[in-house]
Amino acid sequence: MFDFLWPLFGRMHPLLVHLPIGILVFGILLCFLPKKENHDFLPTIRLAFLLGGVAALVAGLSGFLQYQFEGFAWEDVQIHLVGGISTALGSFWLYVQAKKSDRLDTKIKVSALGLGLVMTVTGHLGGTLTHGENYFTEVLPADFQSLLGAEIEPEKGPQLPEENWENAELYAEVIQPILNKNCKSCHNPRNKKGELDLSNLANLLKGGEDGLVLTAGDAEHSALFARLILPKEDEKHMPPSEKPQPSKEEIALIESWIKTGAKENQTLAEAGIPRKLIERFILKNQTPFYPITQMQPISADSLADLKSSGFFAEAVESGSGLLKITCTNFPEFQDKDWEKLAPVKRRLAYLDLGGTQMTDVLLDSLAGLPNLTVLKLNSTAISGNSLEKLAQLPNLKLLYLNKTQVSLSQIQALKASKSLQKVFAFDTPASTELPNAGNLNFPFLFEAGNYSLPKLPTDTIVY
Amino acid sequence: MNSLEKLFAELAVQKLQHQTRRHFLMDCVSKMGGLAMAPLLFGCEPGKLSKSTSGLQLSERDLNPLAPLPPPFLGKAKSIIYLHMAGAPSQLELFDYKPELAKYHDQACPESLLEGRKFAFIRGVPKMLGPQAKFSQHGESGAWVSDYLPHFAKVADEVAFLKAMHTDQFNHGPAQLFMQTGSARLGRPSLGSWVTYGLGTENQNLPGFVVLTSGGKTPDAGKSVWGSGFLPSVYQGVQCRSKGDPVLYLEDPSGMSRDLKKNVISAINQANQEDFETFGDPEILSRINQYEMAYRMQIEVPEVMNINDEPEYMHELYGTKSGEESFANNCLLARKLVEKGVRVVQLYDWGWDTHGTDHDGSIDMGLRNKCREIDRPMAALLLDLKQRGLLEETLVVWGGEFGRTPMQENREGKQMGFLGRDHHVDAFTMWMAGGGVKKGTSYGITDDFGFAGVDERVSVHDLHATILHLMGFDHEKFTYDFQGRPFRLTDVHGELIHSVLA
Repeated sequence: MFDFLWPLFGRMHPLLVHLPIGILVFGILLCFLPKKENHDFLPTIRLAFLLGGVAALVAGLSGFLQYQFEGFAWEDVQIHLVGGISTALGSFWLYVQAKKSDRLDTKIKVSALGLGLVMTVTGHLGGTLTHGENYFTEVLPADFQSLLGAEIEPEKGPQLPEENWENAELYAEVIQPILNKNCKSCHNPRNKKGELDLSNLANLLKGGEDGLVLTAGDAEHSALFARLILPKEDEKHMPPSEKPQPSKEEIALIESWIKTGAKENQTLAEAGIPRKLIERFILKNQTPFYPITQMQPISADSLADLKSSGFFAEAVESGSGLLKITCTNFPEFQDKDWEKLAPVKRRLAYLDLGGTQMTDVLLDSLAGLPNLTVLKLNSTAISGNSLEKLAQLPNLKLLYLNKTQVSLSQIQALKASKSLQKVFAFDTPASTELPNAGNLNFPFLFEAGNYSLPKLPTDTIVY
Repeated sequence: MNSLEKLFAELAVQKLQHQTRRHFLMDCVSKMGGLAMAPLLFGCEPGKLSKSTSGLQLSERDLNPLAPLPPPFLGKAKSIIYLHMAGAPSQLELFDYKPELAKYHDQACPESLLEGRKFAFIRGVPKMLGPQAKFSQHGESGAWVSDYLPHFAKVADEVAFLKAMHTDQFNHGPAQLFMQTGSARLGRPSLGSWVTYGLGTENQNLPGFVVLTSGGKTPDAGKSVWGSGFLPSVYQGVQCRSKGDPVLYLEDPSGMSRDLKKNVISAINQANQEDFETFGDPEILSRINQYEMAYRMQIEVPEVMNINDEPEYMHELYGTKSGEESFANNCLLARKLVEKGVRVVQLYDWGWDTHGTDHDGSIDMGLRNKCREIDRPMAALLLDLKQRGLLEETLVVWGGEFGRTPMQENREGKQMGFLGRDHHVDAFTMWMAGGGVKKGTSYGITDDFGFAGVDERVSVHDLHATILHLMGFDHEKFTYDFQGRPFRLTDVHGELIHSVLA
């Protein structure tokens, strides 16, 4: 029935810790206060370390209970715990030393200093647990923070949808994000340079030490805009010249917002904002070029294996599990070399087998690549007879068949593909047949090339 | 003691005399503190140091500086072909159509345009010079292209024009450096070096960054425009000759067989390997690698740099003639190199500095001849890349280092013998095409004279930021530590041009 006592005692840890800290600091100070050859304080010092040790033990016990009941992770608390125990043990040890001795010798002084250090570190770690890692650094200027290695999540600025951007709120979705990105680091509730807080509209309207920063309808007389367009060298220019500057569009948007009355609720369309001004903030909702996978990046060893086999092999982008493989320096590649690629077949997104010795046989294996997006088979001996197998590839977007023997009817078999966007077949029987083939209605762009630039009379006139 | 040494000695004595006891004490205290703080604050990147000196944890990059790396994020382009028209072509005769300017032809330039401005050669009050070309709109995009570029006009739908480019250098050398390295002063790595450093090369038998020149001269700024600056020199552009041996001394001398060469190189490499085992300097490994690459290059370079094997219709398309050094040949070579996995190909064509000092440098005659030299080849390059599907992943960039004035040049205040335009920094046109570029667009508007951009202006840094973006880099995060601070291609400037991204 009194089970609640244990967690309650645990929760008192942040309170109880101050008891040993106070007593021990008192004890340590006493070690250094008296002048030389004066040992009058010794009995008090003994008492301080004894009481401090007991208090540290009680605080440590409550701390352990808090760790048990409040779900702290062992990795987070372990050093703090060891520090707490050390503080308690150190106090008792010092008590014993002071008891044995009748004078305040150097050994005791140095040990007391050590105890103080251990206690400070322990206390700091404890504070970090309750207040968070960034408690101190948060209030520092952004430059200092990054100097100290803090990872600051950068403000992204406005982000608008491709569709219906006209109905976005001008203030909430555009202006405040611009202020967050360019101004907030120095003008926020914690760091109010010039007594100005730009983190929300209510505080913005309160102005700063020089008065109001906004006059609705009059941008030139609103410091919020006017200071942005002052020459960069001007003392009053904002943001300070050494800080990142807002873009032309961002400044123009703030101007438009003020000119149209600095309203809180107004859409972009109502304020008459042209698309040009917000183009850069539009999130292009393009489907990503390569399929989205959960695959981890390939291990360095496997990548090195591929490279030593002769392939050019690299992640399609940093951190991606998908691979780009080409045979640029591996023209000897044959069908049997496929076994070297088979282990990474789920990773193959861009595969260039151009100029290799591969044959039709390999198309069976190629057709089973789930993430293949770009496939280049230029200048290979494929006949095109089994080209339709490639139509099964679920993600194939670009297919290169230049300088092969594929015919137009074989390419038509690719119509079954649901993903194919472009097929290149320059310098093939297909490209020769094309001019007489009529309307083919390919669902993808078919590029047969054979471009020419007919001679013009001006080609030969020399002025 | 000569006078200079005397001066230095005097300076030293003066300095000492001004140094008081207080200065000395303050220096001691403040600098000791600094010394103590330094490792705490910055850590001096001990990991980085130990990696290169211990020789134990060598990355692939240490062994082979050109080893490929994945792009930080998915770039649309994997290669760049950059066509630089050295000397700066006139935007007013090619792409930026200004009918208003024609009305002011031969009239004195309004004072308002000249106030507070400096030009390279124009003095006093020059006359305006109307467009000398006939303009019409082309393709579905309705792009304005003049009759100086009739072939290119047919592919205008493939490109995105940047019509309000501006720079801040009005002399060729500094402006070319600025355009290629992001700084008008020497010492910064070129765009191509940055990209090669960031991505490595795909074809291990070819350099990652190849430079070809035409027009009879190399750019005014010299080879620094493709230099590697403070990046390791392995990332600088390799200039190949389009006539004769592509790389000098690449052919083995007569009497030297391939086997003998192999033996020589393996003996050298063996000696180097022993050196490496003794001293552990990774530079030795990179040297070993370079010997091996040079040996492999001997096979692949002559093959890829030879245009004779191309079919006749390719020669007709590009207008190439084998055996000569021309922009056309270089365009065809650029396509071949990119097809073979070269990361960056840069073409410099010299001869666009149309001041009107002579026939060749005239806006109405010399410029036409110059345009004819590039018109077919660059149109052919775009079409050829398109039909091979290479335009999907190759970025093509065209432009000069600045633009030309809407005023007629009046060198030394005198009327010139031919029609010419002076250097101009406030407005010029460039275009981009291919991987990740929104084709058929025109970005940037200039005033009625084509004197300055009035909207959608693009700085050189903005252009660099956009090119790096298309290659898969965030220009603000792509840095190299040098002399105690991280350096960027765009320094502290540059904004992405979102409107030309597909």
